[in-house]
Amino acid sequence: MRISEQATDDVLLRRAAKGDEDAFVVLYRRHQAALYRFGLRMTGNAWAAEEIVQDVFMTLMREPKKYDAARGALGAYLFGIARNRVMKHLERLPREVPLNGQNEDGSRGGAGVVNAFTPAHWAEQQERMERVRAAVLDLPAEFREAVVLCELEERSYEEAAQLAGCPIGTIRSRLHRGRALLLAKLEMLRDVPRRIGAAR
Amino acid sequence: MKCEEFEAIGLGLGREGSVPLNGVDATERAAAIEHANACPRCAALQESWQEAQTELQALRVTTQDASTPLRVEMRLRQEFRIRHRTAKARAAAVVAAWALAAAAVVVGAVSLRNWQGAQHRTTQSASGLTKNASGANAAVQAGKTTNVIDSKSTNENALVADNSAGEFTPLPGSLETDDAAIVRVRVQRGALGALGLPVNQERAGEWIQVDLLVGVDGQPQAVRLPQ
Repeated sequence: MRISEQATDDVLLRRAAKGDEDAFVVLYRRHQAALYRFGLRMTGNAWAAEEIVQDVFMTLMREPKKYDAARGALGAYLFGIARNRVMKHLERLPREVPLNGQNEDGSRGGAGVVNAFTPAHWAEQQERMERVRAAVLDLPAEFREAVVLCELEERSYEEAAQLAGCPIGTIRSRLHRGRALLLAKLEMLRDVPRRIGAAR
Repeated sequence: MKCEEFEAIGLGLGREGSVPLNGVDATERAAAIEHANACPRCAALQESWQEAQTELQALRVTTQDASTPLRVEMRLRQEFRIRHRTAKARAAAVVAAWALAAAAVVVGAVSLRNWQGAQHRTTQSASGLTKNASGANAAVQAGKTTNVIDSKSTNENALVADNSAGEFTPLPGSLETDDAAIVRVRVQRGALGALGLPVNQERAGEWIQVDLLVGVDGQPQAVRLPQ
């Protein structure tokens, strides 16, 4: 049977649970990118993000009946699973060295911002990017989650609170603390090259 | 507005177009801007945050097109196929097992019914024989005359049987001689036809023992069916 791209998640999931591979693939393609980006931004590790996405969909494949449509959208349910996996990953590796994700072709994850600027400009941009990435990844998990959801994914407080499974006030305070910590870390990271330069 | 309040809500006001205002109304926004203009510390903080936001924006752009590698989809599809093929095979096996079990039960039930029927018939015939025997006894006790006549006729039947079974029957065309020997042979009943005796063709293949009275010329003179 042909799968309509407009078919709702619930319909697709029901069909996938009955063994319809195409329905499962449509579901996967619909949600994988957002989950992957969240995993990548939270862990800073392309392999970990890949594992997380795979884990999420394996869970969906194994236990499709665990999803209850009355409790929310499938996207939020999948995001909840991804969030749990991310937290477990961060608990396992609390201070993982931030890495640039590698794309399929082996190119660096940050290659997307390469443009017609000069090599010096590109190098400076890369350095700045690395600083931000390092600062974000250095935040404690709950503050990092708030920053990733509200600043990087540009979600509203309501959405972020729903996805993180906490009240809006909690998200707001976490974001406030996260921003402050991020600023401090960025300042610190900016100062290191300056200090090194001054010492020379 | 105080500095703490500004830190809580004022930092997010830098990029009005892209960041959701998240419930900050116009009055609060105006107050935050006014505070930033009046407080150099908060103005510096806001400037610093705007710079950080630019960097965050750049980081967001680098990862906004990130997508799971194709190999994950391949792995998941493979797993999906294995899982559902196994489930189908298992379901088919379960159905086949149930069908076999049902067939076994039906065969068992039919066999049991047949056996019970056979048992019932045997019991009935046994009771019938007992009835016949008791009936015969009753007849014996009923009258001596009948019994005598019956026994007479039985004796006569036995004699006939003895004659046919115990005595030699001369073969057609044979000559009586004084010197003869009895030879016991095992032949098919059909072979008696060759000696001129009537044979039931249905039992022609049956092996029987016969005594032949053989004359001095070596020819059979008579035949006898031993008991």
